[in-house]
Amino acid sequence: MIVTKKREFNELMENIRNYKSVFLLGCSECAALCGTGGEPEVKEMKDVLESQGKEVTGTFVAKSGCQVLGTKLELKPFKDAIDKADCIIVMSCGAGTQTAVELYENKPVLPANDSLFLANMTRLKVFDERCSLCGKCILDKTGGICPVTRCAKGLINGPCGGSQGGLCEVSKDTPCVWQLIYARLGKLNQLHFLKESSQPKTKLVHPRKLIREDLKSKKEQIKGA
Amino acid sequence: MGFKEALNSKKFLVTAEIGPIKGTEVQEIIEDAELIKERVDAINVTDLQSSVMRLGSMAVCHLLIELGIDPIFQLTCRDRNRLALQSDLLSAWVLGIRNVLALTGDHPTLGDHPQAMPVFDLDSVSLLKVISMLNEGFDMVGNQLKGAPDFLPGAVVNPGADTEAALEMQIIKMERKLEAGARFFQTQGIYDLDLFEKFMKRVESYKTPVLGGVILLKSAGMARFMNKNVAGVFVPESLIKEMEETKDKVKTSVGIAARLIKGMKYLCQGVHIMAIGWEKKIPMVLEEAGL
Repeated sequence: MIVTKKREFNELMENIRNYKSVFLLGCSECAALCGTGGEPEVKEMKDVLESQGKEVTGTFVAKSGCQVLGTKLELKPFKDAIDKADCIIVMSCGAGTQTAVELYENKPVLPANDSLFLANMTRLKVFDERCSLCGKCILDKTGGICPVTRCAKGLINGPCGGSQGGLCEVSKDTPCVWQLIYARLGKLNQLHFLKESSQPKTKLVHPRKLIREDLKSKKEQIKGA
Repeated sequence: MGFKEALNSKKFLVTAEIGPIKGTEVQEIIEDAELIKERVDAINVTDLQSSVMRLGSMAVCHLLIELGIDPIFQLTCRDRNRLALQSDLLSAWVLGIRNVLALTGDHPTLGDHPQAMPVFDLDSVSLLKVISMLNEGFDMVGNQLKGAPDFLPGAVVNPGADTEAALEMQIIKMERKLEAGARFFQTQGIYDLDLFEKFMKRVESYKTPVLGGVILLKSAGMARFMNKNVAGVFVPESLIKEMEETKDKVKTSVGIAARLIKGMKYLCQGVHIMAIGWEKKIPMVLEEAGL
């Protein structure tokens, strides 16, 4: 999931100071899990904005805010409410915000949240970064634990000499991921992987785009069956 | 005799370390280097040690060459990508630098510019491979060089890693560094010769010179600070007590360092002295150690 954090409310108010009316768009996926853009948060935002003298012309929580076509369809019934609003506030991640930007080219779209990282929700309220979407997975060699993401230096050829008591020198409440990898490879009888040296990481060129010609549309799936 | 010849001569090696200052006043560095140059086989020059912005290692190495010293250019992956690392290596060679110590480098958050972008495009192992490729006349993607360097590449190892997993991985990484071309190793500061002996037994089959690290203790406080904050360094309580009770800190510090060096003569192929500001005391240490 994409973990998000609510931006300071004052900052949001500053951004919409010239607008009288807003439409609120949440997301039922990650933002809902993070408590930054599900039904309750959207309702709360509506109440607060109204108490501050703003008109809320409508609200909607998209199924997946990052899915442009789906969100477009879902928002059709809200055309009037969106037309009436001076701006749209999106309570999801940066991807969701830019879905709205793509759909409403003449309407200012503002983010209510900061997008932080791709996270595993390891416990209620706890989000841990485990994958950095680097584009070249090495989990097969590291016991399934990612050093690119979980080592402060992203080291792929074993640890630096800086851990103390099994903890990372950069943040003392974070385990040295290479010690976790060592322990897990040991349990799996796979310590030999540590002796293989890894190729330097390949840096990403942004923005990335993927076209999956092999993916079938729903119609094609039905035809095929 | 340059460091490479000293390494091949099988003599007990002595290297020291100089840390460039923040600024352009190089007089003290030059004084320190002049004072120790006859006593050491090479002088390491650190690369923004502790991730603190300072004068660069390459420039100071060049100054040392002008004094007739063979420097060991410390090069970290902290703030240079693969283009800059390779280019700096070529630049270093044309400035007369012949020895490189390849390091991953401290994280910028530990230094005085914690907001700096951490690079770590390569790491110590891949940097050693790059040095080996440059030596063979190619850059890391296989393009041919017009004129190739012939560096002596070295690396570091931390024999005092404090957990079994950390130590095992230090040894595995040492093997990888060897495969990548490391021809000598310098270690983190060592205070426990028994532990070091066990480590040396583990790595003696590699047949590659190891220079044991000796950090001069300036005070009991410094020892306690290192025990708490410097990974792999553990000063035993008995040495801390010696420093605490002495009336002459310099004499005691020199005595402790000399004892450690005497012990290391039987365990490894040389010593690497990190004086951290007390460079002028290095001749006394070597005198007392009989070197």
